[in-house]
Amino acid sequence: MSSTSDAPATPLVVARGLTKRFKDVTAVVDASFEIAPNECVGFLGPNGAGKTTLMRTIYSAIEKTAGDLRVFGLTPMKDRKRINARVGVVFQDNNLDQELNAAECLLVHALYCGMDFATARRRTATLLEWMGLSGKAKSTIRALSGGMVRRLMVARALLNSPDLLILDEPTTGLDPQVRHSIWALLRELKRRGLTILLTTHYMEEAQQLSDRVLIMDHGQIILAGEPNALIETHLERYVLQAAGLTDLPPLDGDVRHERAGDADYFYSNAEPPLQELHRRLPSRQTVLRHANLEDVFLKFTGRGLQE
Amino acid sequence: MSTPPPDLDELWQPVRLRTGPAWSLFGVWYRHVRVYCKTLLANITPPVLEPLFFFTAVALGLGSYLAGDRSFDGLPYATFVASGLIAASPMFTAVFETTFGTFVRLMFQKTYDAMLGTHLRLSEMFIGEMLFCATKGAVFSTVVLLITMAFGVRPTAWCVLVPAIGFLTAYLFAAIGLIVTSYVKLITNFSFFTSGVITPLFFFSGTFFPIRGHYAWLDAVSFLVPLTHPIELCRALFKADLNGATAWHLVALATWIAVCHLAALRRMRRRVLG
Repeated sequence: MSSTSDAPATPLVVARGLTKRFKDVTAVVDASFEIAPNECVGFLGPNGAGKTTLMRTIYSAIEKTAGDLRVFGLTPMKDRKRINARVGVVFQDNNLDQELNAAECLLVHALYCGMDFATARRRTATLLEWMGLSGKAKSTIRALSGGMVRRLMVARALLNSPDLLILDEPTTGLDPQVRHSIWALLRELKRRGLTILLTTHYMEEAQQLSDRVLIMDHGQIILAGEPNALIETHLERYVLQAAGLTDLPPLDGDVRHERAGDADYFYSNAEPPLQELHRRLPSRQTVLRHANLEDVFLKFTGRGLQE
Repeated sequence: MSTPPPDLDELWQPVRLRTGPAWSLFGVWYRHVRVYCKTLLANITPPVLEPLFFFTAVALGLGSYLAGDRSFDGLPYATFVASGLIAASPMFTAVFETTFGTFVRLMFQKTYDAMLGTHLRLSEMFIGEMLFCATKGAVFSTVVLLITMAFGVRPTAWCVLVPAIGFLTAYLFAAIGLIVTSYVKLITNFSFFTSGVITPLFFFSGTFFPIRGHYAWLDAVSFLVPLTHPIELCRALFKADLNGATAWHLVALATWIAVCHLAALRRMRRRVLG
């Protein structure tokens, strides 16, 4: 890393007009972004938005169709070996070797990474211990819970001491305890200097972890920025969310209303008018809360179901 | 989550990595061996029992009805069949590994995705896999040799080369299996290949009866069939007669391997990297 403190750090990943077309779909369209060292960036988007494809181009698992992409200043595919020596990937699917036990899965992966047996065993033991999985070293993957599998997959991605950690929906399908433990783990890794890219469709996850989020829809990056700044820029501060209202109450001048399906949303920068409204509404499913990233996301990707 | 133990810093200590292809190939090979050995008994049942049954039923059973002094390509019938089975066994072990096995790793277990997350090259992933098949080929051709020896087949000193032929044969058919897998979208469609190609290869490459020497055109056709060459090479070992024809079979086998190796890597690159 640069020693001159005021010079901006060289970005780890630079994409310019990155596009990936498959036979009948365009998965990523004209994506441009930069990832700075030690940044944690969340790629948000509905299923099929192109998040996973974008990640796959970064670690050379897929060839881009057009545009320019640099990782550590190198070219994916061509410099696959040098790039991936510094990258760790946590996949969306459990692709651990189902026949092997936890320790063997890590050992084999460490060998892929070029470690000798002694180093591979040492790092395997260290990471299993850190993940609280030492007791499960000899358990087959099938015998592990969903949370343990995910922790093991994070451990596997850390074996080669990566500078860049890529996580594809790291907490999808996990219970809240496990989700929070994974978040704590990722924050710890960020403190240790890792750059983290994650895809998610959990807005809370993005808000909790990311310095910056890139919102994707239909293959395009439609919005980028710090989570709180995005909320402030694009939405009022408070939201009253109500379901199943039959008729609409009269609204104060600075309360904005939106309807999606059977749900009504009332937005305002001041809390009192919404509190007043809250008291008047009959529904028990009415919630007054701060506007969050999910509201921003839905505002830009539409509240209707996407096909 | 508890506080991380301080020795985690070890992970950020630089280590010297072996980035060359040899260690990458070994890593992939080792993975397959390790997984294979987890269910070893189930895995070795077909390659041990099937040649045993074919040998006892055909060479010993049917063979007992043949005149004892009748020569098959210069060999007693039991030896003739033994040499055919020794060469066919690596074909089966390799082809099943890189059709059904590779398909499951590709589509269901996502094994190659995990490998692609490391610095492994695609070529290293699949050459490592073919080398694993070749290793099995060397082992099981030797096992078949030993089984037939237990039933009285007399080897020659040249038979120490059986593992080498098993190795090469399995490598070839591993590559052929990968080529087929690269086109297959549904696992059930392998039946066209196994029953339509592999089974006839097994029966009509001179395994149980001599194909060559009847018609000139059939001899020419048989030279184009890939399993012919390992079988003829195996027979040359049992006859202790390595001549110009043997050299041509070796050249033909090497050509098949070179072409299929390149085609397999090319096809899998397209299939896996999209």
